[in-house]
Formats: sequence, structure tokens, C-alpha cells
Amino acid sequence: MSCARFDLKGYLLGELEQPERAGIEAHLAACAACREELERLRLTQAALLTLREEEIPKRIAFVSDPVIRPPWWRAWLAPGPRWGFASALVLALAILAHGWLQPAPPAPPPALDTAALEQRISAELERRLQAAVRNAAAEAEARHQARLREAVAALRQELDFQRKADLLTVEENFNVLKKRMNVLQIHLAANLEGVAR
Amino acid sequence: MIFREVEDRDLISRARRGDVEGYNLLVSRWEKRVYNYLLRLVGDREDALDLAQEVFLKAYQNLGRLEDAGRFAPWLFRIAHNEAFSMLRRRRPESEAGAEQPQQTLSYRLYPVEMNLAVDRALNSLPAEQREAVILKIYQGFKFEEMAEALDCPVSTVKSRLYAALDRLKELLAPVRSPGGPTAAGE
Repeated sequence: MSCARFDLKGYLLGELEQPERAGIEAHLAACAACREELERLRLTQAALLTLREEEIPKRIAFVSDPVIRPPWWRAWLAPGPRWGFASALVLALAILAHGWLQPAPPAPPPALDTAALEQRISAELERRLQAAVRNAAAEAEARHQARLREAVAALRQELDFQRKADLLTVEENFNVLKKRMNVLQIHLAANLEGVAR
Repeated sequence: MIFREVEDRDLISRARRGDVEGYNLLVSRWEKRVYNYLLRLVGDREDALDLAQEVFLKAYQNLGRLEDAGRFAPWLFRIAHNEAFSMLRRRRPESEAGAEQPQQTLSYRLYPVEMNLAVDRALNSLPAEQREAVILKIYQGFKFEEMAEALDCPVSTVKSRLYAALDRLKELLAPVRSPGGPTAAGE
């Protein structure tokens, strides 16, 4: 049997202020009966807490009707179909007013003679095509003539060079021959002097 | 807890302006606690769910009367208490049937399932008001003042009910050990 003047249940449940708690703790240190009583209360609390909370089997049906009605001006300003319809109505009126107030359109242009236009386009294309062909042919001819002139000049230069080389060769051969003739003349003159003596 | 109160306050404010979605969020935060309170009080899942729906509907309808949004929890549980006891009165108008059933004390080591059954039996053996006090204190964590607010009674009454319930439960769930005998409550 515990001491009745001590609120062990309030102590266990955390409902006591600090001075009272300190008093009980001091008493518990000296009273075995109160310690046992507190232990039994703790066991009871632990046993109770073995029961777990259950999940709710079905979510609570959410309220969809506004039971608390908002002020009329808030409801009127609230976004919703009303503003959508109003916007559509304003747009339709604007389109109608625009069509009504617009000045008469100008007279339509005369009908287009597509055959004549096509013929003109064909003639113009033909003219431009022939001019382009002529220009291309002239440019090609000019390029060909230029290349031919260059080739002739190169050939002429090469022939001239060859001719000079040949003349040098002939001249050298003539000099050699001339020297040999001189040597022969000297030998001949020497032989004739020997015969004469 | 402070953040929760702040957010509850905001959701309540939104709901009061007619924002149903704000109220739906508030419901989703509290429905499990309210359902479990009702379940342990009335002992039937279907009844508990029906009552929970009724509680949240009435709370929505009367949200304009909640003076202090910071006291939403005791206010909500007061509605739940009223709904639950209306049902209990309809169901058992004369007396608490469970309280009359003889109870066996726990005198052997229990497995979790058996322990749950034993605790459930012990709770159901209490008068509804005592059972409710245990539920609000042990399972919902209310302070004495909040319980008094929810139950609309003095703190002394709350303590009296709770302490009587704990004495009864202690006898059932944590009996005095006999010398050399078996242990108590799942030890």
C-alpha cells in the first residue's frame, strides 16, 4: 500500500511541477511500498501502450459543399466558370463590333491574265538563259585563248633556247676542228721542211 | 507541436473563408487520431468511422464558433466525445455492459497478440467515462486541462476518472506478484 499523500499517478503521467516531483523522488528513495506501486503503474502504462494506433480504413469523405458561405463579393470574384463565360462573351461582342464598325473593303483587283504572265515569264527566262550561255561560252573561249598564247610563248622560248644551245655546240666544234687543222698544218709544214732539207 | 498548431491555425483560417480544400487538409491531419479515439471508446471500426465522419462534418459546420484556433484539438475532441457518448447511450441506455463482466488478471507471460487482447479486454471493462480518460491521456497525450476542456468538466473530475481507471487497470494488467509465483504483464 503506497502513501496516499503522494500523487504517484500524476508523477508518472508528467503532470506535476518540479517541487512536487522532487518531493516524490525523495520519498521514493526511502519508501519501498511507493516504489512498488510506481513500478506497477509503469507496467500498466507499458501494457496499455502495446496497443498501436490503427490506420483509418477509409479516408474521411471530404466536404464538397461550402457550408460556411463566403461573402457574396468573394464568391463573385472567385475564379471559376463565371469568369470564363464572361470573358467569352466580351470577346464575342468585340468581334461583332469590329465587324460592324469596319469600313467597306476596297474593290477587288482585276482578274489576272495568267497565260500572258506565263508567256512573259517564259520569254524572260529564255532571254536570261541565252545571255548566260553566251557569257559562259565567251569566258571559256577567252580562257582557252589565254592558255594557248601561254603555251605558244613557252614553246617559242624553249625553241630559242635550244637554237642558242645548238649554235654554241656548233661553234665549239668548229673551234676544235680549227685547232686540229692548225696542228695538221704545223705538222705538214714541219714534214715539208724535213723533206726539203 | 508549435508548428502543427501554427499550420492548424492557418488551415482553420482558410476553412473559415470558405476554402474547402484547406479544411480537407485539416481533416487529413486529425482523422487518424479522432478515429482511434472513437474506436477505443466504442469498440467497433464501422461505428468509429461513421462517427469520425460525423465529427468532421459538425466541426466544419461549427468552425465559425471556435473562438481560439489554438484550442482546436480539445474543441474537436469535445465534438467527438459528444458523438461517441450519444452512440453509447443509444446502444447501452442502462449501464455499461462491459463493466459487469468479470475480468481475469494477467498472471502469465503473454505474447504480443495475447497482450493486445488482454489490454483491449481490460479497457473495455472500464466504464466509458473512465475508458475515455485513459484514451485521452495515455493514447492521445492530452494534458489534464485539455481533457477538462474536451470533456467539459473540471480538472478534478478528469483526475478522479483517470486515477480510478488506472487503479482498475493496474489490478488487471499488473497484479501484485505473489512470492515465487508468475510475473505480470508481459514481463
